[in-house]
Amino acid sequence: MAAAAEIIHLQGITKWFGGVFALDAADLTVDAGSIHGLVGQNGAGKSTLIKVLAGQHDVDGGRIAINGVEYPRLTPHLVESLGIRFIHQDRLLVPIHTVGEALFLGREPRFAGTPFINRSAMRRQADAILQRYFGIALPHDALISDLSTAQKQIIQITRALLDQPKVLVFDEPTAALVRREVDTLFRLIRRLRDEGVTVIYISHYLGEIEELCDTVTVLRNGKVAARLARTETSAAGLARLMVALDLEELYPKRAIALGAEVLSVDRLTLSGKYQDVSLSLKRGEILGLTGLLGSGAKELVRTLFGLEGADSGEIRVKGQALKQGSVTGAVAAGVALVPEDRRRHGLSLDLTVRENTTLASLARLTRLGLVQRRAEAAEAAGLITRLQVKTSSAEALVRTLSGGNQQKVALAKWLSCQSEIYLLDEPTVGVDIAAKIEIYTLIGDLAERGAGVLILSSDLPELLGLADRVLVMFRGRIIASHLPKDTTPDALLAEATGSNEVLHHAE
Amino acid sequence: MPSETFAEDFAAPPTPTARRRRLAPFLLRYGALAVFALIFVTFAITAPYFLSTYNIGNIIGQSAIAGVLAVGLTLVMIGSGGNVVSGGIDLSLAANMGLSAAVFASLVQAGQPDAVAVLGALVTGLAVGAVNAVAVVALRIVPLLATLAVMNIVAGLELVLTGNTVIPASTPLLQFLSSNLPGGVPVLALVLIAFTAVLAVIIHLTAPGLRLYAVGEFPEAARAAGLPVRAYVAASFLGSGFCGGLAGILSVAYLSGSTSGSGEMLLPVVVTALLGVVFSRRLVPTIGGTVLSALFVGVLLNGFQLLNISSVLVNGVQGLLILLVVSATTILRQKDSR
Repeated sequence: MAAAAEIIHLQGITKWFGGVFALDAADLTVDAGSIHGLVGQNGAGKSTLIKVLAGQHDVDGGRIAINGVEYPRLTPHLVESLGIRFIHQDRLLVPIHTVGEALFLGREPRFAGTPFINRSAMRRQADAILQRYFGIALPHDALISDLSTAQKQIIQITRALLDQPKVLVFDEPTAALVRREVDTLFRLIRRLRDEGVTVIYISHYLGEIEELCDTVTVLRNGKVAARLARTETSAAGLARLMVALDLEELYPKRAIALGAEVLSVDRLTLSGKYQDVSLSLKRGEILGLTGLLGSGAKELVRTLFGLEGADSGEIRVKGQALKQGSVTGAVAAGVALVPEDRRRHGLSLDLTVRENTTLASLARLTRLGLVQRRAEAAEAAGLITRLQVKTSSAEALVRTLSGGNQQKVALAKWLSCQSEIYLLDEPTVGVDIAAKIEIYTLIGDLAERGAGVLILSSDLPELLGLADRVLVMFRGRIIASHLPKDTTPDALLAEATGSNEVLHHAE
Repeated sequence: MPSETFAEDFAAPPTPTARRRRLAPFLLRYGALAVFALIFVTFAITAPYFLSTYNIGNIIGQSAIAGVLAVGLTLVMIGSGGNVVSGGIDLSLAANMGLSAAVFASLVQAGQPDAVAVLGALVTGLAVGAVNAVAVVALRIVPLLATLAVMNIVAGLELVLTGNTVIPASTPLLQFLSSNLPGGVPVLALVLIAFTAVLAVIIHLTAPGLRLYAVGEFPEAARAAGLPVRAYVAASFLGSGFCGGLAGILSVAYLSGSTSGSGEMLLPVVVTALLGVVFSRRLVPTIGGTVLSALFVGVLLNGFQLLNISSVLVNGVQGLLILLVVSATTILRQKDSR
């Protein structure tokens, strides 16, 4: 097979930010009509490279050629005229627009020679294009805010397709999609490729890259670690290239002796959410919990932290019955929750790293109503070092930290509190691999020190790598409990999705 | 060839929650209309002169001035988003009307013809709008604070110009504006209807109108669609300023001169524009909704006057309306964004 024409050729791209290399002679070569994956940890230079391609960053060195034509510099306008379109991670759609308005914003069909919008033409064209690319019809009067995440994604992609682009860049398009929707998206991307569109696909999900991409560029520390052809890509190999680590090091599972029971839940029921849930957590134990949205797993964790009260049943911490529906009571009993949505519930983004770290344990650091500044600073500094939080100083705002480091601060907050039961809700969502490993290590540390850890996660390999036992919830009940060595991610997924529902309901 | 499965995956009918979400605004809208009707009937029964031709004309006349101002505020709310605290509001509108009226009356007193006075008032209004636009768009001050500052500057200028006195004015144009057409329809009512019809066409039927909503609701999306976001926001403040100037002319006609106390218009105007949101399916400010709500507030004020209810209480009721409407729409739209 003859080598395909290179539609994008970035060579030796160098970019400094304030004396630090963001890109250090990085290359990006994309063949016309292929799907090219771009992977790398946060901070590896992915987004800088894409912003260079989008004309948003000037480069400090390197050559840029598109379609064989060399350009001294790119501007957003030039990039657009070259037929390159970007589908952003955030769905940039106006919630109060109708489907047609959202599709055609900025290029509304009009009555010829007037500024008046031709609404019937708008509806007709919206129908036609949605039918052409997706074979679907969305109700005309539906507002964007009424649509599902996947439907919004469709609108966003269709908007980009209106221009008949030559190159489409997807930036983490599946972050908010479920597997079925991901499959549909992949079918579309493959079809676009077959129609001659070149696709650049950026994702944290290495399995997706392996499944979808014809070629892959792996970035590490601003340099290209490898450029691989389809046959050479595997998720494990990509991960290794990204972090220069072996995958076995990913889940540093330790042998920790289990101690006394620290948390027991007896026939807990919250009507409509979960029924008859019983479980037990020992000191030193890492208990995995998984379940789809609506399985009741999330609500169960919220109940354990006192965010919701149960209708019946009992929660005991170290043998003492826990007052339900009281966060204060749960915290006093030594229960800590690191929620999934850190930005909303776990951290105060506009406070400093120090303040966030000690927020939950100020009582211990306070004398006569005054915070002991020196003790507080020492506490924060100790935790920052221990967790390897990458921050310019303890006084930096949490907002300025990367996702992984924010997560570490959220954990530090509860470490400082010296809790004995840790409830971790999706602890590694949106976190890069290096930070993941540090978080895994930290979870191991917690267990080693005698805490009980309950991890709610939908990352099944992660759960199996970390946990001593994994519980599966389905429709409000715990339907299975496994030792990691006795099960596989596929089997867990089958249970969580109810693929073997018949079996369990036949009793 | 699109495969069948695309359709299966994405053409799901609206979920029950989506339907419930649409039900709530529906109830809010028709609830508001029902309250409007109820209040109208109550006043018709209890207040003796409420239904007289003279009084209805009076209501629409009063509503015309507040209506034009509220439409101006609506433009700003569309262009900068419905959140009053961080989004679009123009507190300088009432003061702008006062200054424009003072300019108009002063020019008439100085012997200038109607055309010059009209031009003077409109240019004054636009200039105030331009100052707001610069403060919000170029200096990036939140509209709430920017227009609060401008409001005080403008009110001060009005005092300087008038010396806090009434400047009487009577010209052919003013006489026409304050007259009734054969059949008893006040000219002011026609001005309100004509002006808002023109604006409604611009905002609801043209591409720039649609884009103004995008700019206000989700500036990043508008920017990504290649729209000049700042120009749109600036234009909305200029439009609002123009409305201030026009309302100034109407108020000179209605009051036969320029008087102090324009600031008292601020609260009813804000109530009107916020209440107007309730009358739209999408819970956004619309021109039609604002006009409807202007009549609603006009009826309310007039009925209270007829029933001799203290003006202190009227202010209280208006404040209560703001709280009710803002909290209802905020709660509904929060649900939406989830």
